[in-house]
Amino acid sequence: MDHATTTARSARPSYFIRFTLQQRVEHFITMAVFALLCLTGLPQKFYQSGWAHGLVDLFGGIDRSRWIHRFCGVVLAISTVVHFANASLAMLSKKIGFTMVPDRKDFEDAILQLKFYLGTTDKHPHYDRYDYKQKFEYWGLVFGNVIMVVTGFVLFFPVQFASLVPGQLIPAAKVAHSNEGLMAFFVITIWHIFNAHLNPDVFPFDASMFTGKISRERMVHEHPLELARMEGRLAGEPGTHPPTDETPPGAMG
Amino acid sequence: MRKLPLLFLLLGAAPALAGIPAEQEDCLGCHTDPDQSFDLPSGEKLSLFVDQETFAKSVHGESLRCTDCHSNKTSDHATGSLEFKNRREVTRAYYEQCKGCHFANYTKTLDGVHYAVMAKGNEKAALCVDCHGAHDISRPGQPRTRISGMCSKCHVEEAEVYARSVHGRASEANPDVPVCTDCHRAHDTTDPRDGALAMRTPELCGRCHGDEKLMARYGLSTAVISTYLTDFHGMSATFQKGERKADGKRLAAVCTDCHGVHDIQKADDPQSTVMSANLQKTCAKCHQGASATFPKAWLSHYEPSLEKAPLVWLVQLFYRLMIPFMVGGLLLQIALHLWRVVVNR
Repeated sequence: MDHATTTARSARPSYFIRFTLQQRVEHFITMAVFALLCLTGLPQKFYQSGWAHGLVDLFGGIDRSRWIHRFCGVVLAISTVVHFANASLAMLSKKIGFTMVPDRKDFEDAILQLKFYLGTTDKHPHYDRYDYKQKFEYWGLVFGNVIMVVTGFVLFFPVQFASLVPGQLIPAAKVAHSNEGLMAFFVITIWHIFNAHLNPDVFPFDASMFTGKISRERMVHEHPLELARMEGRLAGEPGTHPPTDETPPGAMG
Repeated sequence: MRKLPLLFLLLGAAPALAGIPAEQEDCLGCHTDPDQSFDLPSGEKLSLFVDQETFAKSVHGESLRCTDCHSNKTSDHATGSLEFKNRREVTRAYYEQCKGCHFANYTKTLDGVHYAVMAKGNEKAALCVDCHGAHDISRPGQPRTRISGMCSKCHVEEAEVYARSVHGRASEANPDVPVCTDCHRAHDTTDPRDGALAMRTPELCGRCHGDEKLMARYGLSTAVISTYLTDFHGMSATFQKGERKADGKRLAAVCTDCHGVHDIQKADDPQSTVMSANLQKTCAKCHQGASATFPKAWLSHYEPSLEKAPLVWLVQLFYRLMIPFMVGGLLLQIALHLWRVVVNR
């Protein structure tokens, strides 16, 4: 930490604080709860497989598994609400910008990035604090959470819900809950694990979400616009493509 | 020996008595007197009469000799004394003879509830001869309803309830009707009280209700089992079935919890527990405070379809399209990303 502050005083710090302690704690809780929800939830979807029975036994039977699942669901619901309350307050008090809100640039970035992957262009998009992949995952998680929490409560209290809403919503909630859960599992295991671990830029492990720090080198490659803004080199609003004095990220090696 | 009946058939109308091995004649010389009996210490009379014709018609009539079962009887046993205190002791003394030939079935009975209660000292517990008869042994299950008749000798109440159910009302000639042994098994009869039999009901009921050919005969759906299993109840039951170390508390509803056990009726029968007017009460057995609308949360064993449960069907369709689209898209982008990294190198 001392090293960071001393370097920060000089012109070019070697790393930056990317995530606050609160963000890291939120991530950790979400990660732990998500893992437990998958471990106790997926066996219920794939109840006919041997591994499902093994997992349920590990948690002490189906009844115990369900209570763990519900407990984690409630924690996830609370953390979602707390996250939104915090984010809204911070944005309203102008402490942070609307860095997570997708805008036009994200669509342009996505197209440019795909073109780059396909080899039809050598231009690589310059990303700000969050790139379109991170925003996609964030909003996927947010909407997913809302669906999971709402349908989860419907399944938790079927009798009460059936007296308030049409009965068919309960089996519909079950279908939505199990499929949305499976999709979330896929998105996290495939997309998030790739981007946070297997992606050659960060391989084998992107620790920034746990240490809160990110290296200058990675900032240059992954968030050049944010870096430029932090160092006062960016005059315009976020969303513009300023010239940088750093190596363009697309031209690595 | 097996060819013997065939031989008689070929010979034409040979009298049944002709099948009795000659050795029996000696025994029957004395045991043909209907009034011959022995006074047991219990005060009961033990009839020593053997109806020759009945035995001849029995499945053993043509193959067994008296001493095959009554092995301790010699030609002078009439002068000896009987060590039996009561009639039940006589039965219990001889039932073990069955195992000499029917070893597999005898062994099975050792796992059965009848043997278990007998071992605990219940003298009334059913033995081979109680169900199959002694001198009048005939093929069980001809007709099938005869089996239920055997059980009803002891299990009177259950038999009466069963007789009024949709299964019990089926005609005697119906080869499809489930009788007691179809669910409870014959020799290794299960104890229904420990919940293990209840947990097996999806499998038991499924044997018939999952059989396309059989159900087509009655216009019944075979989806009842698959829809139950994919439902919350069925999934929970599947897990609980495998849990032996659980505290014995059964949480998931199985077939019999909604449909009844011996009193199962057709779903449109006013007496049926699953008839729409009675459903709320049935759900409320477990779901305390279930309102009149609660049974609507149950798809009544229907696969979701655009007609039956459009909302459920649409949600299902959405995810069937969404999941491959989403996962495929992400995988494609990862593949492109890695491909570009390799190419740039």
